[in-house]
Amino acid sequence: MVFEPFEDENDLEDLDARLSDPDPAIRRVAVMGLADTADPDAIPLIARAVADSSADVRLQAAIALGEFDGLEAATALCQALQDTDSKVSKTAADSLAELKDPKSADPLLALTNHEDAKVREGALLGLKQLRRPDALANGIEGMKDPVTAVRIQAVGVVGYLKAEEALPALIASCRDDDPEVRRTAVGALAFSKSSHARDALLTALMDEHWAVREIAAEVLGKISTTGDGGPLIPLLDDPYWQVRVKAVRSLGKLKVTAAVAKIGAQLEEQTSNLRKEAAAALGEIADRSALPFLEDLVDDPDPDVRKNVRWALGQIE
Amino acid sequence: MPIANTPTTVPVVVDEGKCIADKGCTVCVDVCPLDVLRISDLTGKAYMKYDECWYCMPCEADCPTDAVTVNIPYLLR
Repeated sequence: MVFEPFEDENDLEDLDARLSDPDPAIRRVAVMGLADTADPDAIPLIARAVADSSADVRLQAAIALGEFDGLEAATALCQALQDTDSKVSKTAADSLAELKDPKSADPLLALTNHEDAKVREGALLGLKQLRRPDALANGIEGMKDPVTAVRIQAVGVVGYLKAEEALPALIASCRDDDPEVRRTAVGALAFSKSSHARDALLTALMDEHWAVREIAAEVLGKISTTGDGGPLIPLLDDPYWQVRVKAVRSLGKLKVTAAVAKIGAQLEEQTSNLRKEAAAALGEIADRSALPFLEDLVDDPDPDVRKNVRWALGQIE
Repeated sequence: MPIANTPTTVPVVVDEGKCIADKGCTVCVDVCPLDVLRISDLTGKAYMKYDECWYCMPCEADCPTDAVTVNIPYLLR
């Protein structure tokens, strides 16, 4: 028997009836139809499909719930997050990350202590963008989790909340064994102006992993005051150009005149992005000692570099 | 638009074993910007009716059962 496509997407009754069909493919298409209605009344019907016997239908329900928001959708997604099929639980986690209504956080808060690490990770991922202040304790607790992926998401939850009381936990995570946790924690310090955060960033500038040094250089540029970028100068000798780019950018922003010669040396680098940023930084510092470096580069093969060189020369002259 | 008389040589190939168009799914037909896909009256499955394709890929990406394959010509890859 060939089913006709849904002519009236708002016919919830028809879709509800198809959800009980013995054929899982028909149930799956019914879930797709329910998502297409964008009608909040469809959420309880899709939630029913989360408990379907077919993993394909449950997967479609997890995708469909991502089209909705609010407590009811979040509760159903939390159920899908605990699904035994890894594809369903992964999809539910992705859908949870799309939630925007702070009320959706209620069922998620209860899952941050779940025995399954994937569930804890998914719950924290969902909580991140919801920015619920009462998620702070769950986030701080998650930062001590034995599973790295959970700690990364927990740092994200705490970082999004930008709470000064979480500073000691964030600083502790800057010393985590995993570089991705350290990178996320260092990035999360950007909201704080405290000396403790600054000390942690200065330590992170010497981290063994380049991605941590890169984010530390960027964050330090954001929280420091003009002229106060001296500790960034040694980073201009970093073996990774990605780190040097961020250091150059921050040094320009902070107008560190003492760095002009070393920034000028970056103009000889092969990476054109680095030359471009170095030229911009010299323009921001606007010190006359940068003129010889910039004048050598007015005919650079990269048009973006030439543009920044001309702008920088204009700033100085 | 030229009618696709020989389905095996067209760029958009539908695996009839996986396609659930006969259960009511119309995703690939709905997303195609050139409207070249149809549901067969005979089999109930999706197929490429018109041999015209921009290789924009949503039919392949959005198919819930991974039944659609778009064969991109070598020189466009």
